[in-house]
Amino acid sequence: MSEITNIGQEPIKKDDSAEAHGKCMLNRRKFLMYSGGTAAAASTVSITLFAGTAQAETRQARVQGYPRKLVAKLSELKDHTPVNFNYPDDGPNSQAMIVKMGNVQAGGGVGDKRDVVAFSYMCTHQGGPMQNTYKHVGDQRVMGQCPLHLSTYDLRRHGIIVSGQAYQSLPQVLLEVDGDNVYAVGIMGLLFGRQENLSA
Amino acid sequence: MSIDYYQAKDHAPLPPKNADVLTTACDYCIVACGYKVYRWPVGTKDGGMKASENAFGIDFPSNMLQSWVAPTQHNICTHNGKKHNVVIVPDKDTTVVNTNGDSSIRGGLLAQKCYNPDSKTKDRLKTPLVRVNGVLTPMSWDDAIDIAAAVGSHVLEKHGEAAYGVKTYSYQYIENTYAITKYALRHVNTPNFTFHDTPADVTSTPGFRDAGFDNFGPSYDDWGSADTLMICGTDPYETKSVLFTQHIMPGIANGMKVIALNPRDTAGIAYIKKMGGLHLDVFPGSDNLVLGAIARIIMKNGWEDSDWIKEWVNSKWESNSGFGQGTRNTPWQWRTTWGKFQTKGYEDYKKWNLGQKEYDPAYAAKKAGVDVKKLYTAAEWLAKPVNGKRPKTSIGIEKGFYWSNNTGNTNAISSLATICGAGGRPGQVVGRFGGHQRGGQKGGGYPRNKSAQKVPGRRRQALDTDRWMYSGHTRFAHVIGTTWIQSMTGSQGLARKFEELVVKNPNQVRSNNKAEIIATLKKRADSGGMVVINQDIYLRDPIGAKFADVVFPAATWGEVDFMRANGERRLRLYQAFNDAPGEAKPDWEIISLLARKMGFDGFDWKSSNEVAEEASRFSRKGRKSFHMVKVAAHIEGKSLHQKMREFGTDGIQGPTMYNYKTGMLYGTKRLHDTTVGEKQFTAMGLSNGPVKENRYGKKMTHFNSQTGKINLQKHPWSLFGDLWEWLSPKGDELWMSNGRVNEVWQSGFDDVERRDYISQRWPGNWVEINPADAKKRGIESGDMVMMYSNRVPVFKDTVLGVHGKDFQFSELMKNGHIKLDKGSITAIAIVTPTTKKGAMYANFLDMKQPNNSLTIRVPDNISGNYNYKMAVGKVKKIGESEFKNDFRGMSFAPRNIT
Repeated sequence: MSEITNIGQEPIKKDDSAEAHGKCMLNRRKFLMYSGGTAAAASTVSITLFAGTAQAETRQARVQGYPRKLVAKLSELKDHTPVNFNYPDDGPNSQAMIVKMGNVQAGGGVGDKRDVVAFSYMCTHQGGPMQNTYKHVGDQRVMGQCPLHLSTYDLRRHGIIVSGQAYQSLPQVLLEVDGDNVYAVGIMGLLFGRQENLSA
Repeated sequence: MSIDYYQAKDHAPLPPKNADVLTTACDYCIVACGYKVYRWPVGTKDGGMKASENAFGIDFPSNMLQSWVAPTQHNICTHNGKKHNVVIVPDKDTTVVNTNGDSSIRGGLLAQKCYNPDSKTKDRLKTPLVRVNGVLTPMSWDDAIDIAAAVGSHVLEKHGEAAYGVKTYSYQYIENTYAITKYALRHVNTPNFTFHDTPADVTSTPGFRDAGFDNFGPSYDDWGSADTLMICGTDPYETKSVLFTQHIMPGIANGMKVIALNPRDTAGIAYIKKMGGLHLDVFPGSDNLVLGAIARIIMKNGWEDSDWIKEWVNSKWESNSGFGQGTRNTPWQWRTTWGKFQTKGYEDYKKWNLGQKEYDPAYAAKKAGVDVKKLYTAAEWLAKPVNGKRPKTSIGIEKGFYWSNNTGNTNAISSLATICGAGGRPGQVVGRFGGHQRGGQKGGGYPRNKSAQKVPGRRRQALDTDRWMYSGHTRFAHVIGTTWIQSMTGSQGLARKFEELVVKNPNQVRSNNKAEIIATLKKRADSGGMVVINQDIYLRDPIGAKFADVVFPAATWGEVDFMRANGERRLRLYQAFNDAPGEAKPDWEIISLLARKMGFDGFDWKSSNEVAEEASRFSRKGRKSFHMVKVAAHIEGKSLHQKMREFGTDGIQGPTMYNYKTGMLYGTKRLHDTTVGEKQFTAMGLSNGPVKENRYGKKMTHFNSQTGKINLQKHPWSLFGDLWEWLSPKGDELWMSNGRVNEVWQSGFDDVERRDYISQRWPGNWVEINPADAKKRGIESGDMVMMYSNRVPVFKDTVLGVHGKDFQFSELMKNGHIKLDKGSITAIAIVTPTTKKGAMYANFLDMKQPNNSLTIRVPDNISGNYNYKMAVGKVKKIGESEFKNDFRGMSFAPRNIT
């Protein structure tokens, strides 16, 4: 519970490693469960960002009740071979992928090596399809160039733009591991074309 | 370094059906994409997901390429004193420029630019400030203007016009630049005047100017309709991205071959190569050699465009001819005093080229560090006929090219283009791609004869304001919308001089009493010090924060109606849609207050439109003449701004023409269009020549030279070669060039400093280092490095040239006019093959660690421009940045992954 506090609660000092990032997401999920957020209604909560760092701050955030969806089994994921799934629903613009990035640790990564991540396939610039654009060069992992206007995103760094036209990071699907099962439990950032992620 | 982290939002409101809709264009790069502003009061209903419920008229979730509102495209602004929702998105209805609503990352984030006291824009300047006891203290407009006017008038009277320095942006809207130049050039009448990107008021591209090419003749359609497009000194994807995605990319898809002449390999160049293009990855400053060699290959093979040359290149007699007064009084003539450039036509040029040892392809390729085979391929693509048919060739240049060897490179490319038949036909054009937008409109002529500077030959040269200030001659520095210091070369040395003249002068204001403030500042100017006044939207460090004695808050984009043109001369009205913060006023109004207080007449404008209407007749000779729009507007009983508003995001391309009979207004697709025929003249009502106030200048159908034909010029390497050889890396130095990234371009004042997403992507100064160079120095991506040099040559004196070689670098060095300065800056290392081995590539302008600290302050000896891309330095690791092992910010992935 270190990364998410209620209003007035002191943030707990934690390290800022990739593992802490991973925990952030698990904890976020737990928080949603504890707060009864499994319904599809949005609510506003206070979360502490980057706890334990000089940048720690408490902000209001909308937390929506995302579905918990089994998207892959760790044992079946092959290095650099994305597996497609839809999330948070099967409506428009829900195409996403999960990929094991060959033992290269990533922000928000799960699994022993923290190298399993999931992202939306829809470029946040103008909704270009990013299927078949996953690339690994040295220790870099990217999606891009988008076939429409060449945007490229850094999959090790929460989908931040490497080069290009998009106005926000590629939405990252938050993952949770339970034994061999990997579940999608939320999304960071707004999916292209939507007004709210759970509005379709 | 500490940054605020961007937190992705996961919702954004849709504008309701009844939202106000206003058109504007992006505030940043040259392309000026069309945008729509949707505005509705806070507290009223947002739009819904159904087509019938929102202003876009489409169902959400929307599909690829349809309208969408990203969370960063919404803001809360104040309009008529009340809070309003504002959504700013690309105009999906536009048929030009950003066709169908494309957008860049910069324009896409325009909504974040608007003043919102709950955002990072809260530090907008809101009241005039006067420095008292070292602290900038709020003061009334009346008092602040009184102080500036009293000290300014005193300096003019006692020390003369040249002591009153004006350093201003050249582009921030026609109304403002007109007012500023009317004040500085016509009324103050100072030669100590220049724009934000050059030490002296001189042409940016002397070679184009002298050959007869307008910088912005081509239309955006032309850039996608050649058979071969040569791009020099830029990756258009990085710096004018929508020109690339909407015009050049479709051209490539249709089979257009692209040759990129650029030291660096970036996203657009990677795409070009992936599609079969050619990358000439030269060392900084060696372009001239490569171009001369390519021209030689073409001429030796007889691939030149003989028909074009015969018809459009000046012969011996034409080169020497002129209109009435001869060419004596043209810049072209005085630059050619020593016979360095002028030729007697094609054969003479060919003979000269073949006689230069530097243009032997093997020699040129070796010096430039490129594979010689690429030079032959380039020559074939540019000019070799295929099945008897010549390729249609276009050439576009930008700063990486013309800020490396300003005169030599622009002369060389003009000659190469002409040999290839580029320049005056659809899809066969020559021009600049552009940097900032084109919002300059001069309201007065530059008083060249008052300049204390003279090059060898007959004419005085526009004053180098940096050297003039450095020599202590500027007593009053009036700085408008530019940082001056960081944006000039050798900037750490300039900052030290500012400190000496301003802060360390004993006459510092210690009282709030207006008369005492004025007396103290006058004393400072009289004692050899300098007084600084500054107009800007934010307090910039150090020009405002450390040096300014008086600061005036300016209103900007979206707060006042303004006009401006883009890189194809397309004029639009940038509409006001929200209130300026506090008491901020547009620059034209600040100037009018100051001018009136100083006793100048002709500054009593009441609106932005009044300024634009006064400026219109001064635009008539220019490439973006909008005078006929005013004529049409008045005939229709409208104001100029009203008429411009009707054109929306499509605007109209200058120069404009008006058919008095049909009441139709006409724009100009391209300049130098040798294919324009009688049909078009008839449509415009101009078949018997210009009618009434219409002006149809030579540049419309011919070139800007003494004959209307092209001057084919020599481009001697020797004018630059001594500096290049001296500068070339010694010991463990590396070349250190610099340039832009797509994410931050013409937008640093907003992006890097006030948008969390961009500051997270680019949290500090950065430098790209080739893996081989990095390994040798133990540097990894994410390390903090120091780049330093004690070989920063600074031309420190204002001198009069007498002998032909006086301004040649080696002569300046010999005669003691060059001082070797020191500079050092820090940056986050990005180890990447995108930069060439032996060459670092740095961020073009970080406000805190300006790369310009190391760039040479030796202006081009012919033109007077800086060659900003030229520097060398050593680099060493000084530690690790916080981003090295962190996943939240900065990306170290190379930009050339395709």
